[in-house]
Amino acid sequence: MAESALTRPGQRERYQNKFAQIDWTLCLMMALIAGMGSLVLYSVGGMSWDPWAYDHLFRFGLCFVVMIGLSMINLSIWLSISYWAYGGSLLLLVAVELFGKVKMGAQRWLDIGITDIQPSEFMKLAIVLALARWYHENSAKDANWSWKLLVPIFMILIPFTLVAHQPDLGTAMLILITGVAVMVAAGLNWKAIATAAGAGIVAIPFVFTFVLHDYQAKRITTFLDPESDPSGSGYHILQSKIAMGSGGLLGKGLGLGSQSQLNFLPEKHTDFIMAAVSEELGFVGGASVFLLYGLVIFMALRIAMLSHSHFGRLAVAGAIATFAVYVLINGAMVMGLAPVVGVPMPLLSYGGSVMLTVMVGFGLIQGVRVHRYQELPRQNSIFARFE
Amino acid sequence: MAETSIIFSDVNERQGVFSRRVFLMGGVVAFGLFALTGRLAQLQLIEGGKYRRLSSANQFNYRLIPPPRGQILDRNGVVIAGNRPSFSVLVMRSQVKDIDETLDQIAYVLPQTLLRRRAILRDINQSRRFAPTAIATDLNWEDFAKVNLYASTIPGVDVSMDEVRVYHYGGAFSHVIGYVGKISDKDLKAENAATGDEEQLDPILLHPGFRIGKQGIEKAFDKDLRGVAGARKIEVNATGNIIAEDSDGMRPATPGEDVVLTLDAEIQQRALEVFGEDSGGAVLMNIHTGEVLCMMSAPSFDPNLFVSGISSKAYGLLRDYERLPLLDKCIGSTYAPGSTFKVATALAFLEGGINPEERVVCSGSYRYGNRSFACHKRGGHGPQTMHDAIKNSCDVYFYHMCNRAEAGPDRIAQTARALGMGHVFENFEIAGQKRGTIPDREYKRTAFKNDPKWHPGETLSVAIGQGYVTTSALQLCTYIARIANGQKAVEPYLVKKIGEVEKVPFKDFKDLPFSRAHLDIVRAGMVAVSNDVTGTAYRNSRLNLGNIEMAGKTGTAQVRSYDKVTNRRNEGIPWKLRDHGLFVAFAPADNPKYAIAVIVQHGMGGSMFAAPKAREIMKLALIKDPEMQARIIQPMPVDPNLANAPDQPLTSDAAPEPLDINPSPDAIPPQ
Repeated sequence: MAESALTRPGQRERYQNKFAQIDWTLCLMMALIAGMGSLVLYSVGGMSWDPWAYDHLFRFGLCFVVMIGLSMINLSIWLSISYWAYGGSLLLLVAVELFGKVKMGAQRWLDIGITDIQPSEFMKLAIVLALARWYHENSAKDANWSWKLLVPIFMILIPFTLVAHQPDLGTAMLILITGVAVMVAAGLNWKAIATAAGAGIVAIPFVFTFVLHDYQAKRITTFLDPESDPSGSGYHILQSKIAMGSGGLLGKGLGLGSQSQLNFLPEKHTDFIMAAVSEELGFVGGASVFLLYGLVIFMALRIAMLSHSHFGRLAVAGAIATFAVYVLINGAMVMGLAPVVGVPMPLLSYGGSVMLTVMVGFGLIQGVRVHRYQELPRQNSIFARFE
Repeated sequence: MAETSIIFSDVNERQGVFSRRVFLMGGVVAFGLFALTGRLAQLQLIEGGKYRRLSSANQFNYRLIPPPRGQILDRNGVVIAGNRPSFSVLVMRSQVKDIDETLDQIAYVLPQTLLRRRAILRDINQSRRFAPTAIATDLNWEDFAKVNLYASTIPGVDVSMDEVRVYHYGGAFSHVIGYVGKISDKDLKAENAATGDEEQLDPILLHPGFRIGKQGIEKAFDKDLRGVAGARKIEVNATGNIIAEDSDGMRPATPGEDVVLTLDAEIQQRALEVFGEDSGGAVLMNIHTGEVLCMMSAPSFDPNLFVSGISSKAYGLLRDYERLPLLDKCIGSTYAPGSTFKVATALAFLEGGINPEERVVCSGSYRYGNRSFACHKRGGHGPQTMHDAIKNSCDVYFYHMCNRAEAGPDRIAQTARALGMGHVFENFEIAGQKRGTIPDREYKRTAFKNDPKWHPGETLSVAIGQGYVTTSALQLCTYIARIANGQKAVEPYLVKKIGEVEKVPFKDFKDLPFSRAHLDIVRAGMVAVSNDVTGTAYRNSRLNLGNIEMAGKTGTAQVRSYDKVTNRRNEGIPWKLRDHGLFVAFAPADNPKYAIAVIVQHGMGGSMFAAPKAREIMKLALIKDPEMQARIIQPMPVDPNLANAPDQPLTSDAAPEPLDINPSPDAIPPQ
């Protein structure tokens, strides 16, 4: 590779060189997805840039700059702040638990004066950084059976429990799956995975009866039989399936989807935007979006493979796992394959905070790409003396 | 303590494991995306048709338009059952998210719905998912206009302008015509059974503005009266608000067929009027054709109450009233005919060969076995021929003759049946006819297992229309029509015309097996009942219509056993125990056209209480008949002076003034 010829000290640290190292093809794919989102938002907004399409493009542009900026940050800085970021996010989650604002029956927001923040969004990234650091500093063996397995498990379960208690089951599941993905990528052995999976299955009935709120349990039961209650909870899934199914191969055309335009489709600009895409642009449009998501994910995984530092690899794997989980859960949800949980389609759905979270994740991914030759020292962990 | 630890094996191992795991993750994601794309293909390409249909079902909505129900007219084209416009507010449960909120919004415009909130909620909860529920009916125009303006902003609320049934004559026709009502679960089951499965059920049946016939003509001709529902196609959004109406998708409703009856509204009303507070029934028919001109049961009820749903309290009052207003006393209830049956008995005697001139001496009672049977006249009638016995309604004559070899119960029963009693009329349009009983030996054998043998003493009761004998008013009227007709066994019918199709009256009546001479004898007896000064109904059945006379027969049927009763008078005893009063007649006596039967339940005496009613009803029927009018309105006796005066010759100078064909505007006198 041409880049590897840069061997003079400090040369890689020059910003113009760093800038060149950004994966611009990946950026193009992301821009295409965001553009597609803007197009559909223009349509469902009544063929108007207001209220969603313009905002969406603007936010993407703004977050894109943030992403470029983050990608310039040296990996050692990411590494050094990772535990602090995790600790800070955890404190904020506890603060939410204690003083959080209740909106729409859930205690998710923290009023910091200027605006309300949602600490669970920070945790999505912080958990990736913290776990990546943990496995960076510990050997592959530690990922297997050992008392050290308990540390990452608690790292995941504490924020999971706090977020699930808000209650925000979607984000909690996302934190759980991301954390597990990092652990698996770090080399967690299969016996441990199988044990955890077994324990999870055993826990399902217990969770269903004692942990889930009524509305959460109802979402899952109506997911299993959506037609049982067409204008109740199953309404969303059914209307979404009708929207998608009626689109056919080429779709009804922009602005012509009766389901999206006549408000049959709920949350058509956020969580159910895929249904609007498929109704108006058909199978061709829907499949293209999935193809773009596939390309983005594979490019990111390739970046993970290229990294010379274990921290970089795991951070990319974790960040892209979050992204992939978003895509798969949302896709399954709108097509009636998963219960309705509030998970948006990243880059496509309208919504500022999720756009920011995703783009910060891509900032990390691009940063790893830019700093892929950087070797990071394995600092002695706080547990080193017990070895 | 920072330390650059390069343990290559560990580094390589970590990297190797990581690469394998990343491939695995990539595989999982790829599988996931392929699965999603596959699902997308399944929804859009394979099941696309189904979802396209669902999508347009979402977008377009068919609102049913109930068809105007066919009218029911009397023989002269007078509307008996018509329709009037009615404005109502409907709620579609399937399109309402929060029913309480919706009802609150409606209550803002229609405060009266607040009072009925619980009943409305119950109706809504009981309604079928996609059937609208009426929450306010019969609104005045002002309220309707308000709701109409407001309804399009409340999801799931619609206003409708329907037609509802109105019975212009109130109670006069309640039993014959019946009434319409909302479809009940029982009706739905019957409809299901008729059409086969629920899928094919006409959705209009569930429309709150739709009514089906529940009784009488409304029920019997429901299919003709119903019509076909129309529909309008409207585009709605997810909240059920109407976006646009598609005029191409509009299908107008087809009104139901009109049904024209043989009944006469005026006669029917007159019958209700003459009954007043009394309970009973009156049937009047044409003896040649069988057309029923009047079939009225009293007391009656207002069928309009049933159209919008009668309150259970009002229904309870009707149901529990001892004079049974809900019962059709013309066909749905049978009574002992009493002495009115004697005409049939006498005819049976004649057919059996008894000489009508043979006299029986009536001493006031007749001893049979160890029991004494009293005549209604304590002192006795003296020697009686058959003619006298009919005229005087002498019981002893019939007691004496009935057990002779020429008579007997079987012959009496055979005659009565040939005259129309003891069976239902197959071709009569409305349901609910009671057979009644005409007993014979066979009947006794099958109906009384403990005492199957016929006792001659029972013939005595049968001969005077008591005992086991029961008949309905319609049967009695038909019986008299056949006596009057003499040749054909006429059968009653009610419907002249359905839509434009004239109903061909049933003409192939069977021949009556009676000799003309015998019929003349019994008819002469009936003429004497009404027109001989000593006849039982002389006082109460004079028509006073020129030379038209009525020929009748009274009847008083006892309800209680007189065996242990010393006071046979009816005054002062409970209504329920009083005798039934009956009167049957035909008119004109010389050339019969109409037959009538009147039963006054617990009316004490046929002569006193039934005959005047029959006279009034018959009188109106005769006055209304153009043929009779010619007889009633006799030409004025011509003054011989005028008749013989020469015609005034028209002279040219006395020519009449020419008529001003085009009068000037000034010439028109101010109004």
